[in-house]
Amino acid sequence: MKTDDLIATLSDGLTPTPPGEFWRRIAVGTACGTLAAALLWLGTMGARPDLAEATGAWPFWMKFFYTLTLAVTGLWLLARAGRPGAKLTPPALTLMVPLAVVAVLAGLALADPDADTYRLLMGHSALYCPFAIALVSLPVLAGSFWSLKRLAPTRLAMAGGAAGLFAGSAGAFVYAFYCTESAAPFVVVWYSLGTVLSCIIGALLGRIALRW
Amino acid sequence: MIAQETQYRDWMVAALSGDGASYRMLLTALTRHLRGYFSRRLDPAAAEDAVQECLIAIHTRRATYDPTLPFTAWMHGIARYKLIDEYRRVKRRALVPLDAAPDLFAQDETEAATARRDVNLLLARLSDAKQGLVRQVKLDGDSIAEVAARSGMSESAVKVSVHRAIKSMGDEVRGGDENR
Repeated sequence: MKTDDLIATLSDGLTPTPPGEFWRRIAVGTACGTLAAALLWLGTMGARPDLAEATGAWPFWMKFFYTLTLAVTGLWLLARAGRPGAKLTPPALTLMVPLAVVAVLAGLALADPDADTYRLLMGHSALYCPFAIALVSLPVLAGSFWSLKRLAPTRLAMAGGAAGLFAGSAGAFVYAFYCTESAAPFVVVWYSLGTVLSCIIGALLGRIALRW
Repeated sequence: MIAQETQYRDWMVAALSGDGASYRMLLTALTRHLRGYFSRRLDPAAAEDAVQECLIAIHTRRATYDPTLPFTAWMHGIARYKLIDEYRRVKRRALVPLDAAPDLFAQDETEAATARRDVNLLLARLSDAKQGLVRQVKLDGDSIAEVAARSGMSESAVKVSVHRAIKSMGDEVRGGDENR
């Protein structure tokens, strides 16, 4: 096809683009992925039995807001990665805020002279927590890739990493309804590690799976 | 800021609200930039393919343009991505053949041969005497004194003769160009 004909074809049939189209594409993939992760994990493994009790204490909400703020920032990063020419630095720097808050809480817990450092750090599920989070996040990652492929990521590993970060923190958010750990040092190490694991998976897969 | 930024952004914003005429002007203007960009980096057929790929990308991804951000940065992001994509494709197909180097130098050889043929054609239009002088002085590299001694002309007569012959060959070439 001649280039001039192509231009004519593209411009003749032009329809208005709805203002929310960009965010609609993001919302469809990421929301479906997160919903699928929640249904699959909580449907098979179930929520923690003491959920009603736990919501009355602060450790549950620490995990809730840590993962939620990471997920929102991850979504911001993902959106930026899907727009050619947009800067990634502001969302990337914002990620440091929730991390710093939980790191401070962890530092305070470990600073207590009576603290059982090993227990605070390792809890009873340290060995499988990061892998479980990465596993829960897989449907979210798939949904995020679905969204990104409909946007225009120009640096694929970076975009995949952003999707992995969002998926990891959304997965951790879901996992927090199952997990009975309550120490800040545990959360800052193993929850973060699970998210990083998902981020790495996203970056590796993104190089190939995000081509458009 | 890039000079065309405001114009292109206006066209793009109009295009997003469904204005096909603005969109057409935008795509036509962008095609010129894209052709320059890709033809400097790819072979001609691949360059035109990349231009079309980019136009299609602009079209299917136009929802990702945020009017609060520079249009030229958005466009450059897409063009750069398509360029990398094209490099990747070329590498995967291993389209760069092993005889690339001989091909490159064969070109040089052809040019030299063409130049030799042109000179011979021009010389053939001169009188035999002048032709002989030009060959000896300019092509064989004999000195004016040697040629003068051999032909029985004075040195200055040889110089003038050769000079006139070269000048008439030059006129011939320029005249030929004008007629083309």
